[in-house]
Amino acid sequence: MTPTPTASDGLGTLAGKAFAAYRAGERERLSELVDLVTPVLWNAARSQGGAPATCEDAIQTAFLQLVDRAESINEPAAVLGWLVVVVKREVWRLARGSRREFGVEEVPEAPAQQLDPEAQSILSERQRVLWKHVSTLSPRCQELLRVIAFADRPDYAAIAQSLGMPVGSIGPTRGRCLQKLRTTLGSDPGWAV
Amino acid sequence: MTSHTDAIDARDLANLGQVRDLFAHADPVPGDLAERIKFAITVEALHAEVAELMDSALLVTRGTDAKVEPTPTDSVTFTAASVSLMVSAGPDDSDDTDDRVRVDGWVTVPGAQVEAVTTEGSSSVVSDANGRFVLDDLPHGPVHFVVTDPGNEDMRPVITPTIQI
Repeated sequence: MTPTPTASDGLGTLAGKAFAAYRAGERERLSELVDLVTPVLWNAARSQGGAPATCEDAIQTAFLQLVDRAESINEPAAVLGWLVVVVKREVWRLARGSRREFGVEEVPEAPAQQLDPEAQSILSERQRVLWKHVSTLSPRCQELLRVIAFADRPDYAAIAQSLGMPVGSIGPTRGRCLQKLRTTLGSDPGWAV
Repeated sequence: MTSHTDAIDARDLANLGQVRDLFAHADPVPGDLAERIKFAITVEALHAEVAELMDSALLVTRGTDAKVEPTPTDSVTFTAASVSLMVSAGPDDSDDTDDRVRVDGWVTVPGAQVEAVTTEGSSSVVSDANGRFVLDDLPHGPVHFVVTDPGNEDMRPVITPTIQI
């Protein structure tokens, strides 16, 4: 019983275990779930272009829905993906105002990632170079890479699917987005130090 | 040449690590977001009423300007429709190192169960006939209280905002 650290214990697996334990009556395990997945959800929310306050509300709403519907969620192990879907939908709903509800399939695609001028000014030289290259990718690739970067390798495929990407767009194979990032960084003599 | 159909390798993981650092640095998760979510979940799960902080003499200042004289501890009052709660925090006498905190409190409902939720978990106590209670051996840091009345099914649980002790 020596589990390999990367094989099965991705973020999604840990989140699924905590949620299953919560459903089984270990109330305090929900805190663990919140701590585990909040960074991924924050980046999933922010990558939709929502204002910080909107993103905070969306994440909070997603968790409240999770608690509310805890018993009716079919696959506790897939809780991370469930939360990503709800967060993404909530950001768009809040951004558009509560005039009308719309389903997952109507959620528009994420815009190109933006960083505030202030945020850009605090980047290191290397981060500035990386940001320049990330900006050349398609908006969908930017969104995907930003969100999966906060998860673990076993989670990539499920997260990509939750974001509405086609099956096979990433994990276990590299996929086009990671390949493009690799190519553009590889072609920059200033990156390969 | 590499292809998009290759397996993800160490270089890809390193690139993603850099992407993570970039966004974590440029657009960090708000520091208290997780705590606020947990609080909202607790309120929702308990169908609780949130008590209002009436007295803003927060306990956050304690400890930093300790004088020779034992300074009177600050107290905080919370009020909800069904119950009021007053707490004051001081050093735990059973421990000389000042690492632990003792909370003396009073609640308007005798026999109410008062639960202190801290970073270490929760501990609870039942108030006496006068509504007094003591919670000792608590850690420094954030705490919120949940008040329930076992003798009154109709009373909704009351939860306080988080304070520092």
